[in-house]
Amino acid sequence: VVYRRTHDFQPSSLPSPYGSCSDETRYDFQPSFTHSMLCRFTPSDLEPEWLDDVQKNGELFYLELSEGEEAAALAQVATNYGLSTNHVRFSEKEAEIISDESRKLPDGAPTKAEPKLKRLARILRRKRRPSQSRGPDGGGEDSSSRPVSILKNQAGQRVGVMVQQLKEVFLYLNPKRLGSCSPPPPERGGLLEALLGVVHRPSWGRGQGDPAGRREERITVHGLVPNSPAVKCAQILIGDNLVAVDDVDVTTENIERVLSCIPGPTQVRGPGEGGVDMSSAPRLRPSPSVSQLVRLLWGEDTVELQMSIGHIPHIVMYLSLKLDSDSPLEEQEILYQYPVSEASSQLKGVRGIFLTLSDMLENVTGGQIVSSSLLLNKQLVHVGYWKESNNLLVIALPAERYRHGKVIQCMLPYSIPCLSQSHIAFCQADHAPRLDHFFCLFFQQLIQPSRLSDSSGSTPTDLSGTLFLDGLPAVRWLPLPPEIKVWGWATTLGHEDFYGMRRLYVTLGSCLFYKGYLIANHLPKEDLLDVSLYCQHYCLLPLASEQRVGQLVVWREVFPRHRSQIHQTKTINNHCTMPGYCQPQGRYFLLIVGLRHFMQCVLLEASGCAAPATGAPGPDCVYVDQVKATLLQLEELDLGMEERLAAPPAPCLSCADWFLPSFVRDRLDTLAASSPVLSKLAGGVKPPSLDQGGGKVVGRSLFGRGARRPSSKRSQSDSGSEGQSDGGVRRPTGLSPHSTPDSARKLVGQRDSLGSGGSDGSRGSGSIFKSILFYSISHYSNCIPSHSIPPHSLLFCSMPSHSIPISLCSVLARLTSGAENTLFHYVLMEKVQGIFIAPTHRELAQLSGSIHPQLIRNFHHCCLSIRAAFQRTLHRGLFSGAGSIWRPQGTHGLGPVKEHGVLFQCKPENWTDQRKPAPTMTYWVIGRMLLEPVPQEFYVCFHDSVAEVPVEMAFRLSFGLAL
Amino acid sequence: MMLQQAGSVQLLCLTANSGVPLFTRGASKQLPFSIIGSLNGVHMFGAGQGVVLAGCETDRGGRMVWRVFQDSVMLIAVSSGGQAQQEGGGAGEEDLHLRRLLENVWNCMVLVLGQDELASLRNVERLKRDLRSCYRLIDQLLEGGQGQEGIMGDLTHCADCLLPPNATLLQEGLDGFTQAADSEFGCLMVHGRIAAATEKWWRLAPQEVVLLSVLTRSLSLSGSASCDTPVFLPQGSPTVAHRLLRFQLLPGVDVCVLCGPSPTLHRAERELVGCFWSPLLEALRGSLAVGERCLPGSVTLRPDVLALLLINRESRRSVSCVKAIITNPNHPPSNHPLPSKARCWELLRLFYTFTTTRYFPLEETPALTLGEKAQRGDSLREDFALGFSHQPLQCYLVTEECKCFSLQTAQHQLYLLTPLSVPTFALSSVATQTLSAITLATGF
Repeated sequence: VVYRRTHDFQPSSLPSPYGSCSDETRYDFQPSFTHSMLCRFTPSDLEPEWLDDVQKNGELFYLELSEGEEAAALAQVATNYGLSTNHVRFSEKEAEIISDESRKLPDGAPTKAEPKLKRLARILRRKRRPSQSRGPDGGGEDSSSRPVSILKNQAGQRVGVMVQQLKEVFLYLNPKRLGSCSPPPPERGGLLEALLGVVHRPSWGRGQGDPAGRREERITVHGLVPNSPAVKCAQILIGDNLVAVDDVDVTTENIERVLSCIPGPTQVRGPGEGGVDMSSAPRLRPSPSVSQLVRLLWGEDTVELQMSIGHIPHIVMYLSLKLDSDSPLEEQEILYQYPVSEASSQLKGVRGIFLTLSDMLENVTGGQIVSSSLLLNKQLVHVGYWKESNNLLVIALPAERYRHGKVIQCMLPYSIPCLSQSHIAFCQADHAPRLDHFFCLFFQQLIQPSRLSDSSGSTPTDLSGTLFLDGLPAVRWLPLPPEIKVWGWATTLGHEDFYGMRRLYVTLGSCLFYKGYLIANHLPKEDLLDVSLYCQHYCLLPLASEQRVGQLVVWREVFPRHRSQIHQTKTINNHCTMPGYCQPQGRYFLLIVGLRHFMQCVLLEASGCAAPATGAPGPDCVYVDQVKATLLQLEELDLGMEERLAAPPAPCLSCADWFLPSFVRDRLDTLAASSPVLSKLAGGVKPPSLDQGGGKVVGRSLFGRGARRPSSKRSQSDSGSEGQSDGGVRRPTGLSPHSTPDSARKLVGQRDSLGSGGSDGSRGSGSIFKSILFYSISHYSNCIPSHSIPPHSLLFCSMPSHSIPISLCSVLARLTSGAENTLFHYVLMEKVQGIFIAPTHRELAQLSGSIHPQLIRNFHHCCLSIRAAFQRTLHRGLFSGAGSIWRPQGTHGLGPVKEHGVLFQCKPENWTDQRKPAPTMTYWVIGRMLLEPVPQEFYVCFHDSVAEVPVEMAFRLSFGLAL
Repeated sequence: MMLQQAGSVQLLCLTANSGVPLFTRGASKQLPFSIIGSLNGVHMFGAGQGVVLAGCETDRGGRMVWRVFQDSVMLIAVSSGGQAQQEGGGAGEEDLHLRRLLENVWNCMVLVLGQDELASLRNVERLKRDLRSCYRLIDQLLEGGQGQEGIMGDLTHCADCLLPPNATLLQEGLDGFTQAADSEFGCLMVHGRIAAATEKWWRLAPQEVVLLSVLTRSLSLSGSASCDTPVFLPQGSPTVAHRLLRFQLLPGVDVCVLCGPSPTLHRAERELVGCFWSPLLEALRGSLAVGERCLPGSVTLRPDVLALLLINRESRRSVSCVKAIITNPNHPPSNHPLPSKARCWELLRLFYTFTTTRYFPLEETPALTLGEKAQRGDSLREDFALGFSHQPLQCYLVTEECKCFSLQTAQHQLYLLTPLSVPTFALSSVATQTLSAITLATGF
């Protein structure tokens, strides 16, 4: 509110010299701010937090999670793993006697857990920036919240008195590993040695039997057991003192007791549950503070992550084709390789194959090799090739992780963050750590995406979905209602020459993301795609959607593909209109600033109109703050955006489970199984609820969300905050079939129409379901005896449309024709702007169910296949003009594919009824390539009951959204 | 660029251990020896390092496939791209054709020479000479569907069949004839397709049935009225030869019997052929008249079916036909001329490959290890098909020339080509009707 005023303010003290040629869309939502604004956001007495992270070459990747988010993440981790993670506190010099009472509390207490974890996060953050002065962090605010011991440390450091550092080390201990045998006697090290791997020998001077002496003694680490958790964490050093375990102060006297109290992780957590593999080597979590992804982005933990996929054959190599035979060096042709593991060394060993093939295939078939497949230890491995002048890039991946397009595509993002000419990037030794980090991310994303994201712990990750959506040359766009005016922030400023100096950079354009959805863009398509590839590669988009980013500042030089081409071809650039002006080789910089769920990417150009960049310029505070200011201004959009995300999906979606007749029964069973109260109730009412719709409680618990509540409340109920329904039955939120607004609203209308008939609410709520039942029965007549269809369900199907308020009808565009909404999912890609739309994650989450997530995965998998068919067409078109050899007379192959569809059949899983065949549901997945009016690709998934024409659907969709 | 023609396939055969070239077929211009040597060397080098090279592809659709059989013979197929072979999606999925080719060629070599001679490699020079007798068969396989229109067995590994109008009559005749020839394996071929076969014949491995059909076709092309050829069955008896007796009953109609030492060709020809088949001459003529339509006249196909391939998944038999295109003089030629007959065959093959690699994986010889599967190129294909959480039932493609539709039931797979004028949403019902029309009328 404070800064709302400022965007009306036009401080055009210096007219933009390029005002004439700058098209107005270009500078939309560039921030406008005055000097006062500047002061507001960059307090002059404090240097920005990220300053210390700027690297030698000027690049910056600074990521800080918001406090609340860190705490939440920690709390979540604590609840997930808390009991199986044991905190062991070591003091380096001297035993830390902590008199604080809270220390004595067990770890499980939630109230204590949070500040502690928060504290940990701070420690971690400080660890990350060792060079940074403690000034901004160690403010007065911290002194109250920070525990005594830490403060003492800091004071000690500053004053320079005796340093007393506490280390907090997280170890993953599994008492189960000790087996069933009784704990080893204390004389032989006891649990301390067996479980923790810490060797402590009682002081020599004292007799072993002296109990008093032992009580006094602290536990000094005299040695470490190989392969023990203590060694693996690499943070416990010989000479350290063990101070506390799980906040229980320990000495030699009580250590065995404390350790023996640690429950086995299998006791705490169900066997096989969650992503922690108990069977494998004990997992070490030195700091389970934030998700693996963030840690990976921070550059921590890469070794461990990489080790966990060490057995999977994968490698990237950059090989020189110019072999210098004089040089005696063994592996001189390898300019770069990552990772170094056993499986990869085997692949490295056969690099001769890759070199020979790339050379030979060109001679034999006249084409460049793009891929090859080989068998390594019975595993099919695909190898992608990319030849560049005298060098060859080779990437090998297991077959199931490899998609042709993906590897080709990986070349593109890496040419952006690295250098335009990759041979420079790969040949310079100082680039190696960055490349390592880059490829570590690359392989992690492909090989174990599930470990990178916390949220999808239970659901299997949709690898096909990631491959498909990431593979689209487009950015996920969120259409906004007209009320939300991102464009309203537009000013033509942002290009002032501040302080009378020549500007450093010209803003070429920027794009704005909210929770990973593109909401505004002023970048040309090619730049947008480049930027989004960067964001994709560094997982910035999911990061912004899953975790609130406290602050994100990224700065690096980039080499947009098409811009370098422009330079090469010397085509006119609308930036310089001066005659005789020679376009210089510009340098481009990418600035990404994220605040909470917003993220803005700005592409800046140096030289040209701006001052030429020399050396490796780092991020300029002014520009960063400028963008930050914009984002702060946009923050009040947050509410509107949340509303938009919570809005009913348009077009409406149906859940696949609704079309299966077994739905009711399954649901009832699951509900009954999950809730003891309900199982009692359901036991009594199950038959009537099925047959007559009279099962009041069950009916309500099933359909209460959509049916029992007035529609005005519906948005609240969608948030899933209510766990209690009025019937007193605890409703497991994940299980109840959320009504899509379409049917929900119909339902409201239906209840009105039924109201006169004297039908009560629960009856009405049952009938929506029956109508769906009825609907599917009409298509699968063999599934359910007809007497189970109540007559009044017909009412629903034949419900006249005028009972739905017209305003709702206009809002809720239905994509499918026919009485029922049969649309399950869609993806529409617009190629000119490089954007695509698909139902939002939240819309998908609303359509819970057991079949539906499967269906979505299947849809994405099929889309991969469909798109490959389209791609081949495009590919052909691309090459048809290239050479006479390539263009044989007439058509060849299947020819260009315009439309491709597959019909799938699904059955409910574990169908136990022997007497009846499992009910089935069939649906189409169709992809359509459109050239008119704008090039689009449309992928849609719908129930096969109604014949749909995909072209029309695509038209309806794009028209409705005014793409 | 050493392969001149677009789409040409060259087949190289070497001894696996020493790399001695055994023969080269395909492509008019042979690859230089140095290239052949390094193609082999690259694979050998990998094998030494514990890596088995399977194949590779270029940006222009050229591809290469390696495979070693019985640790003795290495077969390499090189396609220059720009043609049919690169149909399909991602890497490795689309070389079904080449992988099938290698497998068929190896089986051919076994069929003619027996596994022992190929595996032992005692006398390479003699083997080279002996292999010449396979050339005709191998060339036929290399031509694929282009040589003889409407033969899909090499690709589908399902025997191409012809459904004669008087099937039972012919079946009885064949059964009697086979029995009289002291055999249980007998087969009647019309237009190079199996019109009738004994039960035991169908029990042979699908590849063997297909290969025997290929062999019979090539034998009947030689023009002789009858012949007696030793054959090794690649799976049934790769080391012991049987005799294949073939008799031409009418031009285009052949009967063959797999038998042991007796009867002699002469006796069979003199005593059995006339006795069993002359009463059935009319029936044979009738089946000959079915022609390349492969379906009896009782089956009426919808006018909007350009071509079809119907596979019986259980019996591994297939029927395929392409309609003669009747251009209606009343209609001016539209913007989208219908594809020619040859093109229809090609499209049918391509569409089959497209569909089976993605959606309808063939269930053959299930007890294969992962390694073997990968060698056969099936591994990735099945991986992709396994990636579907739900069962694909139908699929269609709309291209610039026509619409392709396929559907799969528990027993059948049907592949259809229709003109562009057929509405897409009607394709499913067209296919269902066609399927039921054929199965009801013929019991296929």
